[in-house]
Amino acid sequence: MENLQIQATKYTPEIALDLKGIISLVGKSYPENTFEFYAPLMQWIEEYFKNEPAKKTVVNMEIIYFNSSSSKLFFDFFDLLEENANEHEIEINWIYDEENESAEEAGEDFIEDFEKLDIKLVTK
Amino acid sequence: MQTHENKLIAEIKALKEEFINTTDKLIKDVKRQDKIMARSDKRQKQEYDELMALKIEIEETQKEVVFTMGAIGESRSKETGNHVKRVAQYSYLLAKHYGLSDKECKMLEQASPMHDIGKIAIPDAILNKPGRFNDEERAIVETHAQLGYDILQYSKRELIKMAAIVAYEHHEKYNGTGYPNKLKGEDIHIYGRITALADVFDALGSSRVYKSAWDDERIFKMFKEERGEHFDPVLIDIFFDHLDEFLHIRDSMKDI
Repeated sequence: MENLQIQATKYTPEIALDLKGIISLVGKSYPENTFEFYAPLMQWIEEYFKNEPAKKTVVNMEIIYFNSSSSKLFFDFFDLLEENANEHEIEINWIYDEENESAEEAGEDFIEDFEKLDIKLVTK
Repeated sequence: MQTHENKLIAEIKALKEEFINTTDKLIKDVKRQDKIMARSDKRQKQEYDELMALKIEIEETQKEVVFTMGAIGESRSKETGNHVKRVAQYSYLLAKHYGLSDKECKMLEQASPMHDIGKIAIPDAILNKPGRFNDEERAIVETHAQLGYDILQYSKRELIKMAAIVAYEHHEKYNGTGYPNKLKGEDIHIYGRITALADVFDALGSSRVYKSAWDDERIFKMFKEERGEHFDPVLIDIFFDHLDEFLHIRDSMKDI
């Protein structure tokens, strides 16, 4: 299993998946086909937890703009993390600009929905 | 019999549990979906509001730039006070009664005040000369139409493109004796024909250091004589048909 790196585009974030346990998504997210775009990410995460994950996994998400299907996908993504949260230590940082109200609200929604996950809201 | 029954019950219980799990998951999904939708609706509204605010900001900025350019042109001409504002209103009125679209009328209202922008490139010594121009000076002053066009012609903005036409053609005459290109009749763009009439009407009715204002009778007589000569006959007819509206604009925007 290898690290996965996807460059940012105008519509999609930079994705960096490191086997050392650092997962980061930075940028905008409004792809035309969201689920297709994120399929490699979801697949990698599944594989990662099936194989030998790092002692602690840190997920840094800094999404400045996202469409509603991305929002749905993030819920699915967190579902996947939550499934592994019992056996593995996972820390999630939802990073956003203070003035970005929709990012803040989305972060609050995630915290509310995923009681088992350790999601921190981090303002820049 | 007894064991068979138990087995069925066990199966049903398993089904029941599965059903509950599935429906729980479905309910959770629907709730999430609703939440996403509500957030999305809220954000769309915000984004639309922001977009509209930006649109207004752009339009206001454009108006201000255009008006300022008109004022610059005016500061270089012998017209003063509310001249460009009145020309804007007369042009709008002529455009409306001529049957141009609403959008064009509003654009022409903004573009027509820029007709003299080319005067920024005319030397002060000539422009500010008291009294009449000699032939050579007049020829130089007349280049302001071409100069205005040169300044504005490269813009890709609709409004500035329109202003370029106005600057270029506002001294053309319907009978082909105007400048800079001696265009004739309908070859002169309607924007040019409209601004020509609006500009002259206002200039004649205003008093200047070097001349007193013409009285209305003299202006009307001249307009009738110049119908189809200096001016588009259709526009002259519009002018007289709606005279009260033109006079109302003049009265409401007098120079103090």
